[in-house]
Amino acid sequence: MDPVNLNPGRLPSVPNPIADDGTASTFCSTCAFAGACLAAGYGKPELQELHCLVEHVGPFEAGEHIFRTRDPFRAIYAVRGGTVKTAVVNREGHEQVLGFYLPGEVIGLNAIYPEHYPCDAVALEAAYFCRFSFPAMSALAARMPSVQQHLFRMLSKELGMVSVLAGDHTTDERMAAFLMDLGERYAARRFSGTRFRLSMSRNDIANYLRLATETVSRVLGRFRDQRILRIDGRDLEILDQPRLYELASRVMND
Amino acid sequence: MQAVEGRDRLRCMKNHATAAEFDAALIARYDTTGPRYTSYPAATSFHAGFGEAQLRDCAADSNDEPIPRPLSLYVHVPFCMSPCFYCGCNRIITRDVRLAERYLASLYREIEMVAGMFDRDRQVVQLHFGGGTPNFLDARQMSELMDSLERHFAFARTPTREFGIEIDPRYADAAYIHALGALGFNRMSVGIQDFDPQVQQAVNRIQSIEQTREVIDAARESGFRSVSVDLIYGLPKQTIDGFSRTLEQVAGLCPDRIAAYGYAHLPQLFKAQKQLDAHFLPDAATRLQLLGRALEMLGAAGYVYIGMDHFARVDDELAKAQRDGSLQRNFQGYSTFGQCDIVGLGVSAISRIGNSYSQNARELPGYYAALDNGSLPVARGVVLNEDDLIRRELIGELMCHGKLDIRGFAQRHRLKFPVYFADSLTLLEPLKDDGLVELNNEKIAVTARGRLLLRNIAMCFDAYARSGTQVRHSRVI
Repeated sequence: MDPVNLNPGRLPSVPNPIADDGTASTFCSTCAFAGACLAAGYGKPELQELHCLVEHVGPFEAGEHIFRTRDPFRAIYAVRGGTVKTAVVNREGHEQVLGFYLPGEVIGLNAIYPEHYPCDAVALEAAYFCRFSFPAMSALAARMPSVQQHLFRMLSKELGMVSVLAGDHTTDERMAAFLMDLGERYAARRFSGTRFRLSMSRNDIANYLRLATETVSRVLGRFRDQRILRIDGRDLEILDQPRLYELASRVMND
Repeated sequence: MQAVEGRDRLRCMKNHATAAEFDAALIARYDTTGPRYTSYPAATSFHAGFGEAQLRDCAADSNDEPIPRPLSLYVHVPFCMSPCFYCGCNRIITRDVRLAERYLASLYREIEMVAGMFDRDRQVVQLHFGGGTPNFLDARQMSELMDSLERHFAFARTPTREFGIEIDPRYADAAYIHALGALGFNRMSVGIQDFDPQVQQAVNRIQSIEQTREVIDAARESGFRSVSVDLIYGLPKQTIDGFSRTLEQVAGLCPDRIAAYGYAHLPQLFKAQKQLDAHFLPDAATRLQLLGRALEMLGAAGYVYIGMDHFARVDDELAKAQRDGSLQRNFQGYSTFGQCDIVGLGVSAISRIGNSYSQNARELPGYYAALDNGSLPVARGVVLNEDDLIRRELIGELMCHGKLDIRGFAQRHRLKFPVYFADSLTLLEPLKDDGLVELNNEKIAVTARGRLLLRNIAMCFDAYARSGTQVRHSRVI
């Protein structure tokens, strides 16, 4: 399916699964690197001259792997559209969800050191990517300190994400922190931070938050009854942001 | 019974203060054929490419939602003791009760397989037995069947759950109804059609008022919360006087809800109807008068016109829900129940799971063969695309609310409404000129004149009606 909606009667959906494709001279609006490159004075044409080939790949359909644990590390992937989960399978054979990635975010960073992917990456819905071959990326980083800095920033952010789950918090607090985090990440990419789609299954959410599956629905149901949220299928709207943030604050401040 | 096109849960009715205006000449002019919009798209769009794998995917997806919908079960019992000649349902005429045992054996297998597709925390808040004649099953079989359902699905324990059953009073007595009450049934739908002996003879359904009263009284004694009755207008030998008497007698039984369906004579489609002497069918003018009389008399008897074929007592939950804006439309017509995934069990049963509709094999041999084979008996279905979902919601609003808030709707679906629905709005223009709807930039509102012609209004927004792929629909009135 074409990622760009051509029906003249439709406005872009919320959030737009794929903002735009960029052009020969402009970056995709969700590009994970555009800021860093532009800050260093490199527009898209200059990058092309550097033969820094960025390959658009996808769609990967829901359930399809982008890479698997122990695949040799060749590239990092910036999500252009769709959502991805990363997960590992533990010794007992149970899947453990590590995180969810939204448009503009990058997967594969945690493969840099071991030189193979330490987890699976699975599309949760039709997903599109910019594939950066890592050797080319390294070369670019060597020439452009701002790109290198940006890489480091992304790496440390990646490390920081785990903290949402650490500590002893109530289920309501954990769920609030999860939704608040998603909202903020969408907002950071100039999507709506209060109206978005939960493209991960409730099982994945439960797994990620270390809750029972039914508990996820019960907590969300409670939030809905308290008019903190409106939920229609997978579409979610945060109605009472202060209340959600208040619940989330204990987790976020830890 | 499930309607031919598949029953649906179209979102319903806000405050519908407008009464229906009966203008025979206007209605006659709009009397074409059209879908009943119990589903959108209609069952004619179901295709064989949708099978077990697709159904399992849809069920799995529905489990994955943040707050999965509760379940509404529909169980089809296809047998009838005797043929009613007007019938358009999928049923088998037999007196051989052993057929029921054979059927139940397969049904149990299906229940087990289908229940396994749904997470256990998805409660059954609504259950409906239709047919055929559900009371073809005796009390022991009923108990066994309920037991099987309860073992495999998670029944809601709340008193608000709706467990309904269609009853043919000719083959049920008070003791039987009490047994159903003990099994947890709390609503009953009773077929009457017409009490006029001439009509009863013509349609081969002889049923006294006493028989009917017996089951209704028994239901009330056993704590059933709601009793509804079905009438049909447009049957052979029906006269204004005879039908008026029936309406009076029906009002005397004090049902909570009344459905008055227009008879659709489609003998090419429904074999049973070939036995009916078309010569005695009322003409179009009489048909309209019958409908007019029903509206008038049921209104006078204190029933509110809910929409389409449905009436309810002012104090009934349906009428209350209509007033407070929480009414929904589903399978069995209108309902106070919210969004559920509808799971159809049994031969020819229709499901609505997630964004799909699907239907089981329509004949017993196919149904049995699939289950004997270890497969689900789903035979056809359809996955709705985005346009279908948008139109389904819009049509649901019109059929139920009689009203569409264009701005809210456009915002919710990210539409440039006048562009997206340009064709539909052009089709709606003559209906507006006839005073059936008010139309401006903010809303579409069905007028009193339009209330009896909801289907014609909805058809303007039906993408399939225009492409000519829909055939075999009943008349609008």
